[in-house]
Amino acid sequence: MAAVDPITFSVLWGGLLSAAAEMGVTLSRTAYSAAVREGLDYSTALFDADGNMVAQGDYSPGHLGSMAFTVRKVLETYPKEHLQPGDAILLNDSGIGSGHLPDFFMISPIHVADELIGFAVNCAHHVDVGGSGAGSQVIEGIIENYQEGIRFLPTRCYVQGAPVEDIFRVIAANVRQPEKVIGDLRAQVNANMTGARRLVSLAETHGLATLRAAMGEIIRQSEEQMRAAIRTIPDGVYSFTDHMDDVGPGTEPVVAKVTVTVADGTIAVDWTGSGPQREAGLNSYLHYTYAYTIAAVKSVTLPTAPQNEGVIRTITITAPEGTFFNPRYPAPSGGRATISHRIYETVLGALAQAVPDRVMAANSHFFNPNLGGTDPATGRAFVCYELVIGGIGGRPYKDGEEALASPWNAANIPVEIQEAANPILVERFELMADSAGPGRFRGGMGLRRDIRLLADGVRFFNLGDRSLFQPYGLAGGHGGRLAETWLNPGTAAARALHSKGSYRLAEGDLISWRTAGAGGYGDPLARDVALVVRDVVNGYVSVAAAERDYGVVLDPATLKVDVAATRRRRQAAVPQPATAD
Amino acid sequence: MSLRVGIDVGGTFTDFALHDSASGSLRIGKVLTTPTDPSVGVLAGLDAMATAAGCQVADLAQAVHATTIATNTVIQRNGPEIALLTTEGFRDVLIIGRQKRWELYDNSIDKPTPLVPRHRTWEVPERLMFDGRVHKPLDEAAVRRVAREIRDAGVDMVAICFLHAYVNAAHERRAAEIIQAEVPGMTVTLSSEVSPIYREYERASTTTINAYVMPAVAAYVRRIEQGLESRGARRALYLMQSNGGIATPEIVTKFPVRIIESGPAAGVLTAARYREAAGTENLMSFDMGGTTAKICLIEGGRPALTGQFEVDMVHLKKNSGLPMTIPAIDLVEIGAGGGSIAAVQMGTIVVGPQSAGSVPGPICYGRGGARPTVTDADLVLGYLNPDYFLGGEMRLNVEAARRGIVAGVGAALGMDAVAAAWGIHEVVTSQMAQAARVVSVGRGKDPRHFALIPFGGAGPVHGARLARMLGCPRVVFPKDAGVESAIGLLMAEPSFDLARTLIVRLEAAALPAVNALYRELEAAGAAQLDACRVDGRHRLARSADMRFAGQGYEINVPLPGSTYGADDVARLRDAFFREYATAYGDRAFDRRDAVEVVHWRLTASVAIPPLSLAPLPAGDGSAKEAAKGTRPVYFPEAGGFTDCPVYDRYALRAGDTLAGPAVIEERESTVVVLPGSRARVDAAGNIVVDLDS
Repeated sequence: MAAVDPITFSVLWGGLLSAAAEMGVTLSRTAYSAAVREGLDYSTALFDADGNMVAQGDYSPGHLGSMAFTVRKVLETYPKEHLQPGDAILLNDSGIGSGHLPDFFMISPIHVADELIGFAVNCAHHVDVGGSGAGSQVIEGIIENYQEGIRFLPTRCYVQGAPVEDIFRVIAANVRQPEKVIGDLRAQVNANMTGARRLVSLAETHGLATLRAAMGEIIRQSEEQMRAAIRTIPDGVYSFTDHMDDVGPGTEPVVAKVTVTVADGTIAVDWTGSGPQREAGLNSYLHYTYAYTIAAVKSVTLPTAPQNEGVIRTITITAPEGTFFNPRYPAPSGGRATISHRIYETVLGALAQAVPDRVMAANSHFFNPNLGGTDPATGRAFVCYELVIGGIGGRPYKDGEEALASPWNAANIPVEIQEAANPILVERFELMADSAGPGRFRGGMGLRRDIRLLADGVRFFNLGDRSLFQPYGLAGGHGGRLAETWLNPGTAAARALHSKGSYRLAEGDLISWRTAGAGGYGDPLARDVALVVRDVVNGYVSVAAAERDYGVVLDPATLKVDVAATRRRRQAAVPQPATAD
Repeated sequence: MSLRVGIDVGGTFTDFALHDSASGSLRIGKVLTTPTDPSVGVLAGLDAMATAAGCQVADLAQAVHATTIATNTVIQRNGPEIALLTTEGFRDVLIIGRQKRWELYDNSIDKPTPLVPRHRTWEVPERLMFDGRVHKPLDEAAVRRVAREIRDAGVDMVAICFLHAYVNAAHERRAAEIIQAEVPGMTVTLSSEVSPIYREYERASTTTINAYVMPAVAAYVRRIEQGLESRGARRALYLMQSNGGIATPEIVTKFPVRIIESGPAAGVLTAARYREAAGTENLMSFDMGGTTAKICLIEGGRPALTGQFEVDMVHLKKNSGLPMTIPAIDLVEIGAGGGSIAAVQMGTIVVGPQSAGSVPGPICYGRGGARPTVTDADLVLGYLNPDYFLGGEMRLNVEAARRGIVAGVGAALGMDAVAAAWGIHEVVTSQMAQAARVVSVGRGKDPRHFALIPFGGAGPVHGARLARMLGCPRVVFPKDAGVESAIGLLMAEPSFDLARTLIVRLEAAALPAVNALYRELEAAGAAQLDACRVDGRHRLARSADMRFAGQGYEINVPLPGSTYGADDVARLRDAFFREYATAYGDRAFDRRDAVEVVHWRLTASVAIPPLSLAPLPAGDGSAKEAAKGTRPVYFPEAGGFTDCPVYDRYALRAGDTLAGPAVIEERESTVVVLPGSRARVDAAGNIVVDLDS
């Protein structure tokens, strides 16, 4: 392998990262679905010719962590020598891809003078891939993957630059919104063309041998730095258990148990002891388990360094086959996005014992429901994809942030865009008082979003969690308030809905999602009184909760602190243990 | 309109350019900026300029001003308490935002702090549908109650942002009337006037920024205006907006959010005037200062505009700042300037975004800076003259720079001072090249068809290298690069970018509504132009943001200006296909697909005559008069340090030519001419360099 000097190396690494980021810009700008263009539910990366991930755009960790393993599997179906310039391969298989069918990968080999130099790869969440319900993320009544939509093992969909129309016709015939799905697939090909152009231009400017050497060096340097960072975690065995509420109405909780072993620059994460594979659209294929385990480890080691094969190979991840975190095919998994937080937070809970000053308490969790039906105004089918994202957990030195995606990255879809595209009216989108887990640094608030249906016979597939097991606090911080979903709250017909239930709703119905509050960090009685007062003034914490949770006594009329009463209250109170575990 | 002045307030200096169109004479000047109240420096400098020029401030026909007052108010968070009034159920619109992370794996990040705290947000019952129909009428009694509560809270500035107000402004207008009737003297700013564009968070953010900076901008503009009036110059003041157009104090006081990017816009406009020198309509402006570099494309004399940008970002990371949906010059800005700090991470040299600023500054300033910067590298490589920095006002310490570069970068990589300095120079330039690709290649434009216009203190040092990386064939180093922005202000036209969201399929049935919309926009544009009182031909140019039906991102497409009939549909569709193919390629779409228009735009401007400048006297073509000797300067293509001719820019004459490698020194910067390229001085005093192909 040719050596690469540090200057050229710096320039090439920057160039590869910027190329991967630029692929994402092309994808979002030419995409059709709100999930991609507004929700930013996609990812991009460049790989070397052997299928090692070299540079990724900073998009969704769920895709990015899975991707690293996907290209090598594609090469088993399409050996290098069978790939030609202008080819593109798609796949959405849950095991090879990122764990559920809506995520379509597009993989394009990149050649210079007929020589394979790498791959441009991206993954995007599609608004629908067929199956039993709009949005293809149904949980209830799903017992195997075949019910969840159309499935592609690695399949060549472009040959030498020309689309294989037969394949696109098959896809169009099997999904609910073919124009959006086909449009997004085209955007994915556009994105890879952007990446390919940039990689070819780097090869031409710096020479192919130098580019190859730099790609190898990126992985080597990253691995070395990652091992050094892992060495800063005290050696030991750290275990943590958390739960998902269930896998649909009337089902048992999912046990998420992890054991993290840190020894001399290595880190092993084992999911043994977790619950079994389930008969519901909710299982975490191994790639998905990898993805958020990696994200959690990275957040306490090299949070701002670029992720690539070198970072990933330092982490050993295991889960027994046939369990929830490593199911056997054909386990169904449409709703698996909701597992992301639990994977991440269970690992972080274990790491909190080792490096308490680098973690945060549990997040709010989120709702990712889908609604489908016919828009009475247009007569056309609609699939409405919603994202209701709460706050993040309290941190060792400051409060959790309000309404921020974590650990994944996504954006909410603006009300004004949702309403223009779907027969709904968003009636409320706000933070909820007293929902945050109290702590010296409190968690982020829970979020409420209410939508009213303007169409009849709407199929509603809910997708949330933390309705039974609250987001944990750390270091004496308390858990956050539990999540709820309500139908027509405040009316005689009010009814609590299940976080993963499927429903048929009528025009005029109102759905109200209320995420959990995030967990707090540290003893709430040690919270700065001025911060408690600020929260009361802003309506984040009620006067009653200020006294109950924080021991801060306020005059309800003036919001002035009763200093003496506060001192008495805080001295009398015995600090409560964290609610985790 | 014979005597005009351009005034650009920067962090350190306030620059002046005084131009007499009768004689073509241009006088430039600089005074120290007075940070606590920049108007003091502006007026004092103006008096000094007038005295030196032997004229009166009263003789000024126009004073065109670029100011950072609005941006600074946001960044320093020193505006007043303001209130936000929203649709019931949406009081948290600013706090929730779009929820996207700006750093993927770092759990310590924070979102931008909104300008309005939660307890200063009020809600009222009302609701519009996405198509403008009223779903729930405005609760007028609630508005009256809220108006009193706001008054009682001691707040006298309200921003109103109701859902879907971009398509129907009636509720916002009525609420404003009620509030002003209930509480006389309350200032109200409406989202439907400031930015009638969809996406509620971005619009609410824009509207609150407008309210937040309004008092500071109004007071500042009034001080300058009164200063001018007391000196006899009435109605002479104009201000630079973020879109590169100038506007009157009345308009700017009503829409102060439009001047957030006033300073950078002036810089870009400056670059726009080198079409003739560059011999092309396609220019790329490259402004590299102490902490950041800004790059912008200019085509046909008009800088590229963006419909959305952010202020108060963290490390210039997307989504870390407060967004605004108003037209602004489409700059890409990165943390790469002369003061940017270089370090080693993972075996690579990394430059910025941390900056040593001017205090402590680069190591070579000898003011306590200990970490190596781009300026230190440029000095070690011989590009900068330690004895002629700021015209010799500051001596630079080469030895200290050399030691610092070895300690901070070289040691970790096994490189000596020169190799490491070259690494810093090359890496920072390639970072800028990547940024330039985002606004060029990323928008379907080929940098090989653009001439580069470097300015700012470090721009001319890195300009030729950047051009070579990008493949730009020509570089124009402007005369008076140090006060470029002030001169650029004299070239600015009154210009307003009006826009409205109306989402329709591009079909004949939609055209009557579009024609009605343009009648309104054109009347509004003409009224704003009339209010500017500037002679010249009025231009109204239409464009629209279009996409394939169902897509979420639009591209801007120029439109013909006429009343549209059914037979125009095909023409408008074709215009879109052309732009789309340019941006994403011919095979990226299907021509049978439906096309949708989201935002309709109108640019209203006044054509003003070009700036006439007295030409530079011609020399003998040899540049011999300007030769200052030689010094060793580092060029890898010449094998390392080479004995390089040094020239005095002020002694160059029109028609002089010279061959690279060469270094041309001026007070505020240094032009580096690469080996294998040729430079000539044009009649206006610009240095035009043709790179080898």
